[in-house]
Amino acid sequence: MKVYEEQGGYQSLKKAFARKPEEIIEMVKASGLRGRGGAGFPTGLKWSFLAKDVFPRYLCCNADESEPGTCKDRELLLKNPHMLIEGMILCSYACRIETGYIYMRGEFHDLSFIMDKAIEEAHAKGYLGKNIMGSGFNLEIYTHLGAGAYICGEESALLNSLEGGRGEPRMKPPFPAVEGLYAKPTVINNVETLCVVPYIVNEGAEKYASFGTEKSKGTKLVSVSGHVKRPGNYEVVLGTSTREIIYNLAGGIRDDNELKAFIPGGSSVPMLPASSVDVAYDYESLAAAGTMLGSGALIVIDNKANIVETTLRLISFYMHESCGKCTPCREGTRWLHQIVQRILQNKGQLEYISRLEDICDNMSFKTFCPLADACVSPVVSSIKHFRSEYEEYFKNAPVGSV
Amino acid sequence: MAGFTFSEKQEEEIAGILAKYPFKKSAMLPLLTLVQRAERVVSPEAMVAISQKLDCSPAYVQSVMSFYTMYHTEKVGKYMILFCINISCQLNGCDKLLEYTAKKLNIKVGGTTADEKFTLHREECLADCANAPMMRINDTYYGNLTEQRIDQILGSLD
Amino acid sequence: MSDNEVTLTIDGKSVTVPKGTKVVDAAKQVDVDIPVFCYHEKIGPLGCCRMCLVEVEKMPKLMTACTMDVMPDMVVKTTTEKVEKAQKGVLEFTLLNHPLDCPVCDKGGECPLQDNTFKYGAPETRMEFHRHNNAKATPLSPVITIDRERCIACQRCTAYSERIEQGRGLVMLNRGFYNEVGTFNNEPYDTRFSGNVVDICPVGALTNTDFRFKARTWDLTNAQTLCAHCGCNCNITMGTRLNELLRVEARPNDAVDDGWICDKGRWGHHFVHSKNKILVARENSKGGGKPTSFPTFPHDCTIQEVTAKVVEAFKKIAEEHGPESVGFIGSPYGTNEENYLYQKLFRQGLGSNNIDHKPYRDTPGLPVDHYGVEQIETANVVLLIASDPTEELPILDLRIKKAVTSGRTRLVSLNDQKIMLDKYSARSVRYKVGFEALAISALANGLARELGEPAPTQDDGLDRAGISAEDMKALVETVRSSMKICVVYNPSALSGDAVLRVKRLLKLIAKVPTMECGAIPAAPMTNAVGAMDMGLLPDFYPGGVSVANHEEIKNQWGENAPTAKGFSALEMIARAEAGELKALLIHRSNPVVDFPGGTRVASALRKLDLLVVHDMLETETTELAHLILPSNGPGYDEGTTTNIGGRVQARKKALEAAHAPDWKIISLMLNAMGDETTYGKALDVTEEIARKVPGYQGISRRTVGKTGCNREAIASADEPVTDQPAGTGKNGSLRLRVSTFLFSHDKILDASSKLAHHFLPFTAHLNEEDAKRLAIQDGDTVLLSAEDAMLEAIASVGSRCQAGGVVVPRVSDWQGVNRLIGADGGPAWVEVKKV
Repeated sequence: MKVYEEQGGYQSLKKAFARKPEEIIEMVKASGLRGRGGAGFPTGLKWSFLAKDVFPRYLCCNADESEPGTCKDRELLLKNPHMLIEGMILCSYACRIETGYIYMRGEFHDLSFIMDKAIEEAHAKGYLGKNIMGSGFNLEIYTHLGAGAYICGEESALLNSLEGGRGEPRMKPPFPAVEGLYAKPTVINNVETLCVVPYIVNEGAEKYASFGTEKSKGTKLVSVSGHVKRPGNYEVVLGTSTREIIYNLAGGIRDDNELKAFIPGGSSVPMLPASSVDVAYDYESLAAAGTMLGSGALIVIDNKANIVETTLRLISFYMHESCGKCTPCREGTRWLHQIVQRILQNKGQLEYISRLEDICDNMSFKTFCPLADACVSPVVSSIKHFRSEYEEYFKNAPVGSV
Repeated sequence: MAGFTFSEKQEEEIAGILAKYPFKKSAMLPLLTLVQRAERVVSPEAMVAISQKLDCSPAYVQSVMSFYTMYHTEKVGKYMILFCINISCQLNGCDKLLEYTAKKLNIKVGGTTADEKFTLHREECLADCANAPMMRINDTYYGNLTEQRIDQILGSLD
Repeated sequence: MSDNEVTLTIDGKSVTVPKGTKVVDAAKQVDVDIPVFCYHEKIGPLGCCRMCLVEVEKMPKLMTACTMDVMPDMVVKTTTEKVEKAQKGVLEFTLLNHPLDCPVCDKGGECPLQDNTFKYGAPETRMEFHRHNNAKATPLSPVITIDRERCIACQRCTAYSERIEQGRGLVMLNRGFYNEVGTFNNEPYDTRFSGNVVDICPVGALTNTDFRFKARTWDLTNAQTLCAHCGCNCNITMGTRLNELLRVEARPNDAVDDGWICDKGRWGHHFVHSKNKILVARENSKGGGKPTSFPTFPHDCTIQEVTAKVVEAFKKIAEEHGPESVGFIGSPYGTNEENYLYQKLFRQGLGSNNIDHKPYRDTPGLPVDHYGVEQIETANVVLLIASDPTEELPILDLRIKKAVTSGRTRLVSLNDQKIMLDKYSARSVRYKVGFEALAISALANGLARELGEPAPTQDDGLDRAGISAEDMKALVETVRSSMKICVVYNPSALSGDAVLRVKRLLKLIAKVPTMECGAIPAAPMTNAVGAMDMGLLPDFYPGGVSVANHEEIKNQWGENAPTAKGFSALEMIARAEAGELKALLIHRSNPVVDFPGGTRVASALRKLDLLVVHDMLETETTELAHLILPSNGPGYDEGTTTNIGGRVQARKKALEAAHAPDWKIISLMLNAMGDETTYGKALDVTEEIARKVPGYQGISRRTVGKTGCNREAIASADEPVTDQPAGTGKNGSLRLRVSTFLFSHDKILDASSKLAHHFLPFTAHLNEEDAKRLAIQDGDTVLLSAEDAMLEAIASVGSRCQAGGVVVPRVSDWQGVNRLIGADGGPAWVEVKKV
């Protein structure tokens, strides 16, 4: 706490309490901050969706970081818990929320001790509890641990898990802003998103909006991993070219190999071939390139890697994490796994490729939640850009082998 | 079925947990985690005890418990090794290291050593990708693994 | 189109439906069939199966029709290429690991998966790998088999367990592909309503073990009839083959069962083919239980001859000793037609009003509206008095749970014992066993004072009844402010004149300004309401017409219709004991076991000159009979019954009996008495009922139809309430409360019953205070003694009732619990001693 305050921590509270809550929402809207967890939904807009005149309301911080390749929230929670608390206080003040939960994935158990301690410190300083700094505003924040389920990162599944149930997503509508936790209006934001809010309140919306591009304002924590020399978390201004991130910040490809492919936003977004490395790292440019910014996890794959094997590993992930509620995802993820596994065992047939594509089409946008679409991304994009690697496996297969 | 009773200390902890939520059921995962960490297993008796605390059916507790990977119906070792095998770690050679670890402990992946000291599981992304390949043993993360590091880490645990 | 309606277009057809309707239901209205698996109207949308994907203009992706509310001007298309590809894809996924079990699967022929695949699926599969294996034909309970390989994880059954049953006994376990339906620790899923999952499972994963491999569904003949176990009269379909009843299914009727039946209704039907069934009329040797070697009528004599003999015997006795010497004890399990004809036989034929059907006191009609069962959902408050729906009227339990959890209705109860529904009750007021009269009067007086009506100013006796003043005050307030209240009371659990006090209470409630008040007389027996309506009473003619109403009786029934008050059932037994009653006809009733009085009942019946028993199964009473007539009973019967909600519904026969139906037998007796009416079918009797019984004037085949219709109101007579002596028992003895247990081991659920796993041992529930005083601990064997009876039971110590009482659930016919109650019907004091 001491260090945090010395560096200007919790200064934003005074500034915020001097304004009306609605003003804070407007500030966040004007800053152009978009959800940093993966969906990229404008944060200020999300806050403004809360059902009017319905109380109590809740704030859930989504610290269920499970998107493969993403390790930024862990670092924030480990090294800067107070920033999150400050962000949550600001969000709660703006949205008239009096209870906040930090839903941390179960494997972050050690981090929950750190966070609990930080919450205690904040209480001691009067930043949490009743009538914070004389503003008349009350807030309690609690940590809550999950127990090993990627699907709980999906906001409605998170709510079900927090309510003590299976982490199966909910039907929408109603949306969490209207009926969320305990059927009350709820805001769910990623750790990074909330950590940005103090900056916006301190420095102003324009300052934040002065960074980045027209539709992607501000900075993003990018977790670079895979075949790079210096994997780690880097804060980049949105719009920076991906080449710069990989080669300058992360030191380039390991062993000086060549770049083959990269997945810009966590395993759930389509991969891009090396030829696309100059794409600007922001929401709209990546969307135009046929992929997404997602959670900001840049996974780098060099030319020594086997794309088909990597794809199988990813399919396996989604197969394990499928909640099982809806048929296309439950059956489809496993079927995709079986087929790609066969291919890797040299038992596949050429028509498997079009079959994979068709199965992916039958899964896409037909399921209860986007997990199936996430599983489909690596399959479709790897076939699109690296079809020849798949075809290699059928060159020696006798016709009609199974 | 003999009953499962919480210790006095655990009852205190449970009271603190229940105080965090306006609805009892939210304490489901915290209570399951409490039992798993204390007993290294969640037995049917424990599920009944939890169901009584939360005013729900034991079947519901089992339904929730079986959904998450961190709860086990068979006792796990003193040290639970979760070895990440997801993409960033796979790209950095975790498969060979996992094989090495299993061989070193003389168990299959998913098994427990005879002295109940180590249980080794594959695990999906643990959010430490920058330090790939990595593993989690109980509450500690160990990254940038090599065979030597693994030897050193396992050796240091008693 | 009003504000509450929405117009949209589905496949080019315009349809207008209420707001909040799902697209899949709206489509049904214009004959557009959108395939579903997981959607069920009563359970609600789940969104699990993705079968109902449709295209909606202006929406980028396909939407599930079952989760989508209709929107004004929505344009929905269900037959586009995109939709058809999606449907094929979903079916391919659904069938991916589904075993090709059709040839051996019971669901074949009525299987939504088969039907949808045939209509919407691709002809081939691309799945070349081994299908996943899972547990096959595993017992989920003694009566339900689960085949986990066939399960398509639609979650209908788990949602049913959560939303309808609300017990959450059946849940989804594991995650993802390994999702499976299961219970806690593999324990059996044997709740009261578990069988409904068999009906709702869209594949052959959950099947009826009793019906397994017995017949293909297309070989079954289906009769649409009613369950006969309790007063709910749930609608069922009886599936028979070659004149054997093979299975019972629910037949949804929103006004009665809301689409469900209880397990007793589903599996408690084997008595229909019991080896103890009485199939031919016979003569017992001097009432000795065994057929006599030289019967007055031989085995193959016609039913006309038998009935003529019975009538001759009765007439002889009536002529010699007067109409007071003959009597009839009918049954609340008989149909309206049977009951109507019997009272006609005794009144018109023998001039006797000695007609009754129960060992407790009750009067026909209500001073307020007779609410249908579905009105529980629209009431603001449901007040239970001496009623335990979970054990007595199971479907009522589901209705009440539904109403309470919808947030609309509050449940309050006034009971002498803890019941399972207390969990849903906003306030459970418990009175001491035996003090229902005081408790009900206290409530009535409390209300009266609020209304400024005359009420005694002295102490209501709350102390003696074991009720706190605050509890009663709160209950009075809840009732007074309810605005729409439904009172559910069980007359068979009320002693003395307590039932009249309930009627007085109802009158008072109705006086509260702007109050809508209705009642449901919730006696557990199938046709208790009908029996009252048909005048199976010593002091009332059909339609609630009191014997005192000479004019109306003479108008309706002729100059010779008897108008002297007759004897009640218990009085008839007493008179038989005294030798004053000489002849008795008993229909579908077993007084030796069911009536209070212990061994005195049997010895009284033995004194009779003539005992004719007309019953379905051999009982302790048929053993004593001189002449026995076969009764068809459920499965074979035709006619109508009136349920607790006053709803008259049709019973259709599913099986052919070897003998004439009851209504025919009784009508032949009437003919032998000189009445010339002939009835060609049961419906003819129903028509006469409609002509002659006030309240039933609107009943006809057309109005009853397939779902029944409510009969008109029957007003209740004003009866004065007498002072209730509190009564004292021997020092230290306890007031006995015999409670109902749904799965009682009796003639209906006999030892071979599929539900035998529910049978319970004899238990006596003592209050902690009394247990301490008597030095009895939980689990001890105790002896209950009263009258000339001694019963052994296991003691259960708790707070099921207040101190001073003991609750003994009636768990079997052989328990003999009614022997503890005096021949006058109670109150019963028992001594409880540790063995």
